[in-house]
Amino acid sequence: MNASGDRLRGLKARPKNISTEELRKVDRVGEDRGFSDRTPRRKPGRKVSPRTYQLHPKVLPDTGEAIAAEAERLGLTQGQLIERMWQTYRYGTAS
Amino acid sequence: MASPKGGAGKSTCAVLLATGFARMGASVTVLDCDPNKSLTRWASRGLPEGIALLSDVQRSELVTVIREADGDGRIVIVDLEGIASQIVSRAISQADLVIVPMQPTALDAEVGSEALGLVQEEEEALGKEIPHAVVLTKTSAAVKSRVQRELEAQLMAAGIDLIEPSLVLRAAFAELFAHGGDLEAMMDDPNIATGGRVDRAIVNAREFTEAVYERIR
Ligand SMILES: Nc1ncnc2c1ncn2[C@@H]1O[C@H](COP(=O)(O)OP(=O)(O)OP(=O)(O)O)[C@@H](O)[C@H]1O
Ligand SMILES: [Mg+2]
Repeated sequence: MNASGDRLRGLKARPKNISTEELRKVDRVGEDRGFSDRTPRRKPGRKVSPRTYQLHPKVLPDTGEAIAAEAERLGLTQGQLIERMWQTYRYGTAS
Repeated sequence: MASPKGGAGKSTCAVLLATGFARMGASVTVLDCDPNKSLTRWASRGLPEGIALLSDVQRSELVTVIREADGDGRIVIVDLEGIASQIVSRAISQADLVIVPMQPTALDAEVGSEALGLVQEEEEALGKEIPHAVVLTKTSAAVKSRVQRELEAQLMAAGIDLIEPSLVLRAAFAELFAHGGDLEAMMDDPNIATGGRVDRAIVNAREFTEAVYERIR
């Protein structure tokens, strides 16, 4: 393997300098032949919370499910139920 | 490795060259620019000594990553997705050798020649030569098909450099992806039962690597 390692000494790096202008040219030449930018676009909006795997509310999944089930049972949206919970928490009463 | 044709043999060439040059003593960096990550999967099953793999290299960082990985005694191999995308044109602009793998079929020749056309246009745009060559892949070990003969004649007439030998259709080349590592390790491992002639695959891959080395030294 050493002898062949010596062989590779002929392997010299060639300078790789490309200006922004040249890179733009390369992109354009490619674009014209249908080699277009296919970088995936990031989805807009808020990222899913890694803690809850849902956008909102940021609570643990079993709590989130319990809230959802209770809201459904009461015929409320989860937001309305959370407003009631806030009332109880803040003022000790459900208004 | 550039061809917008899927399944032409880009990733296979990349693995054979990476492992071949590593065996010759080079430090090899493989850039996996394909979101399907063939090379990353191969590497996850055991990366031979002398090879580093960078996964998920994006268009915007490609030029910098190549420059950082390059150096004397080093080989940088860029495996691209089988699609016409801007990262292909950028990779070509940085290449010391663009390899276009082609199966000896009319479709591969037609779609693969898109890559050759792009190389030629980039040469004009940048006012420099970008060495490039075709290697035929999955060729028959027994006979040269009519299509292959015609394709070779066509490439020759167009003045396209054709790498000899072609990469023969061999089970061992496909099995490499399942086992990771290199062909030599595959042959030495008694637990790997292969349906093919690994010894012949090794000779084919070595001669191919030598032929590529002659073009970049
Ligand atoms: N010479 C060969 N002998 C046997 N099988 C081969 C050979 N070359 C390629 N294959 C097999 O053909 C399939 C496609 O090859 P490969 O993944 O190398 O092509 P590719 O050009 O990288 O494809 P993609 O465009 O999807 O990235 C793979 O399953 C591979 O194992
Ligand atoms: Mg591939």
